[in-house]
Amino acid sequence: MSDGPRSAPPGTPPRAVPEFADLLESSEWVATPSSGNRGLPRAGEIAGAVLPALVAATLALALWELWVRARDIKEYLVPAPTAVGQALFDDPSRFIEAGSVSLTHALGGLLIGTGAAFLLAVVMAHSRVLERALYPLAILVKVTPVVAVAPLFLIWFGFNAWPKLLVAGLITFFPMLVNAVTGLRTIDPSAYDFMRALDASKWQVFWKLRLPASLPYVLAALRISVPLSLIGAVVAEWFAADSGVGQIIVIANGDLDTPVLFAAVTMLALIGVTLTGAVAYIERRVLFWHESSSGV
Amino acid sequence: MLALAGIDLSVGDGEFVALVGPSGCGKSTLLRILAGLIEPSAGSARVHGEEPQPARRSHAIGLVTQDPGLLPWRTVEGNVALPLEVTGASADVPALLGRVGIADFAAYHPRELSGGMRQRVALARALAHGPRLLLMDEPFGSLDEFSREEMGLELLRIWERDRTSVLFVTHSIREAVLLADRVLVMSPQPGRIVADLPITLDRPRSQELDQTSQFADLVFATRRAMGGRP
Repeated sequence: MSDGPRSAPPGTPPRAVPEFADLLESSEWVATPSSGNRGLPRAGEIAGAVLPALVAATLALALWELWVRARDIKEYLVPAPTAVGQALFDDPSRFIEAGSVSLTHALGGLLIGTGAAFLLAVVMAHSRVLERALYPLAILVKVTPVVAVAPLFLIWFGFNAWPKLLVAGLITFFPMLVNAVTGLRTIDPSAYDFMRALDASKWQVFWKLRLPASLPYVLAALRISVPLSLIGAVVAEWFAADSGVGQIIVIANGDLDTPVLFAAVTMLALIGVTLTGAVAYIERRVLFWHESSSGV
Repeated sequence: MLALAGIDLSVGDGEFVALVGPSGCGKSTLLRILAGLIEPSAGSARVHGEEPQPARRSHAIGLVTQDPGLLPWRTVEGNVALPLEVTGASADVPALLGRVGIADFAAYHPRELSGGMRQRVALARALAHGPRLLLMDEPFGSLDEFSREEMGLELLRIWERDRTSVLFVTHSIREAVLLADRVLVMSPQPGRIVADLPITLDRPRSQELDQTSQFADLVFATRRAMGGRP
């Protein structure tokens, strides 16, 4: 038999020090049953990829510190990194509590917004008429700035979690809707023909073909929506000023307490990076079969 | 526009019929009508005495297309099991993989396989639910010449065992003559069948067949029926 598997033999040793981008894209992170390489990269590989970024960040912080000290910049204008660190460590529980509240708002809103968007996408992917009827409404939702609706939600729902969840949900709605509709429609015509020739039901086509085929698009939408959900949550918290990192920002802003302001921003950045990393990890695990994970 | 006109086509039980014609003569359209994927604007078709739609509903048809249309997220085994899940039929999947020569690749994903291997998977998948008619639309059209000939003879070897009726669409005259019991020649605009040539070569067929004058004569006759220069 002349034709055999085309891929490299399993267990091909990875290069000693991969580039950071390689490590993110590399198929070595991708779980394929036949490659027998389901795990994370070795500690050495992580160090090799992360070290340059760490060195660069440390250098930037050191320069910032030096600049603030040398020029004697006022703390309420630009606090030194050490001052920001001091603010964080003075009252860590305050930031951790606020951070977890914001995280809950963001993730809850993400669940509501993207969940609703996906359900609507399923309906729209199956009916052009409904798509035409509902798409303009979806555009309306998209073009309305969340900053404008946040106070309205506050009036409607009061000082509780709902305005935050809904603003975060609203901002994540459209990216998921558009991507999911595309993904549910982008199916292999040959696979679709094969299933139709077997008299597969709409449900079978959806469950066995459309849904898995939509996953690359759905996960791409999540990658966009996750940071957006954090923005939505913080904007709503800002207006309500009753909880979360948004509240810290409003209060610190009023006090001109810039180190705390920077500490709050740092907290948000940490949450954002963690969430984005989590989505990237899920993508690699789920989409091992997709071209995007081939690393070429 | 009239795509097909006055076509009278029959595939006997256990017969291997090849349909040849130039691109755009409507051979794929004809195959899609028989598979029940599209409705003819006029006229009727019968698959084993049934109209295509009832035949489709009784799972009488196995389809292999040029682009195999495998599900990339499923393993080879999972792909072959798909028609069983859809139709509720049962089959011995490992045995089926063995029959088409891919037993060792059960756990592979389609992207890890070559084009020829993928078509083997597609063939196993098309046979899994036990169809009475195998419709093949240029199944080896995107393979290189060597794999193509090899896959054709592989197909015959697999087919010899239980002789499912086959309608094999191709634009290669040599492939049609090498494989089929009968070659139907189509001509375009509107698509119609202009010749029905019995292929009297002995089975099992082999690669060396194309050296014989009998083979050359049949290829010549088919080409002349297509209206081309020999």
